[in-house]
Amino acid sequence: MTRLATILDERNLTYTAVANRAHLQPRTVRQLATGETPIDNVAVGTVRRIASALSIPVAAILEPDVPHPGDATLSRAARLSAAIREVMWSGGPAAYASPVESAEADDIATLTTDEFFADMPAGDGRRA
Amino acid sequence: MAVGPEVYRAVAESDELSSGDVAFLSLARTRLVGESPPGETYDPQGRIPAYPTPALLPLPHGREVALDTLFALVVTHSCEIDRQKNLDASAGHVDCRLTVAPIVPEPAVHLVGSNRDDHTVNWAAIEANEPVASLFLPPIDDVSEFAPGVDSLPWPRSFADLRGLVTVSRGMVEADRLFGLAPDYIGTLQRQLARFFTWRDLARHELVEALIGRRVVDAIPLNARGDRLRVALTADDGSSLTIELRAR
Repeated sequence: MTRLATILDERNLTYTAVANRAHLQPRTVRQLATGETPIDNVAVGTVRRIASALSIPVAAILEPDVPHPGDATLSRAARLSAAIREVMWSGGPAAYASPVESAEADDIATLTTDEFFADMPAGDGRRA
Repeated sequence: MAVGPEVYRAVAESDELSSGDVAFLSLARTRLVGESPPGETYDPQGRIPAYPTPALLPLPHGREVALDTLFALVVTHSCEIDRQKNLDASAGHVDCRLTVAPIVPEPAVHLVGSNRDDHTVNWAAIEANEPVASLFLPPIDDVSEFAPGVDSLPWPRSFADLRGLVTVSRGMVEADRLFGLAPDYIGTLQRQLARFFTWRDLARHELVEALIGRRVVDAIPLNARGDRLRVALTADDGSSLTIELRAR
C-alpha cells in the first residue's frame, strides 16, 4: 500500500474528495494511491497540490527510497532488512501472470522428488 | 505443503555459493523501447510475467535496459558453480555467471489468467508445486532465524518464477545473499527445473483455432503414456502447437 493510500484510508477520504480539493482528476489521485503511477513519475506540482489538499508536507506522501543491492552506505544486514520490507511486502498488488497454465497437472506433477529421479544413473550429483 | 524449516537453511557470508541461494539482486532485461512483451503491462497472449516499474537505462538505436530490483533464487546447479574452481581456475577467472529466477511475493501481485480473470485460487496449486514454471517458497514468521543479523521480519508466501530466468554475476549474489534452500528442497527445485525445460503445456484453445486452415508440415511424437500420445505439430507458417492423442 502506498503512503498516499494509507493516509486516505486513515482519514476515510475518497479519491474524488481529494481530487476536488487539489483540482485534479480523480483518476490521477487513484493512480497515485494505488501505485499504478509511481509518485516519482508525476510533476512536482501535482504532488504539492495533493499534499496541500491533505494539509501534510510533501515528504509525507513520497515513497521511501527502494534499497539498492550493493548499497555501500548500508551494512549487508540493514540492506537486506530494508529490501525485505520494501520489495517483499510493499507495492502492488499488480496484475501478474499466474504460472498455472491449465487446470490439469502433467503426469510428473504428482511424483515425489525421489520418484522423479529414481531412474537417473547413480552419481549424477543431483543433490550436490 | 512445504514449511519454512523444511525449505530454508542459513548461509554465512563465507559459505560457498550454491544452487538454491536467495539474494537481493538487480535483474536486467534488454529490449526495444516500447516493445511489448516484455513490458510492464501484463500480456494475456504471451503470459509474460510483468515486473512493475523497473528502472530504465536508455541505449542507442531505440534499445533500453529495464532493471528490476528483486530477490531471486539461484538455479544454476552447484556442480556447475564449482566446475571451474574444481578445474583449478584461479578465483579471478572462475566463470561469473549464475542463472537466477525472480521471486514473486504474494503481497505484491494479483495472479490473473489469460482473460485477466482472478487466479488467486492458483496459490493452492503453486504451494503443491504443480505448475512447471514455479517453485513454491513458504512464508516464515521470522527471517532472522535463517539470516542472522537481519531484522526480525516475516517473509511472505512467494514463488520463484522460472519464466523470468536471467543471468547475474556471482559477485552480486555473494554481496547480498539472504539464505539458502535446504538440501532436500534443492531436489524439489531440480525436479521443477527438469519439468520446466522438458515438459510443455498442451496448446491453448486460441492456438488450436489459429491452426485451422493451415498445412501441417511436421509432426514430432514427444512422449507416450498409457493410451495417450503427445505430438508437436508445425504449420506451414512456422507456428507450432502440442496436441494429445488418446486411443479409443
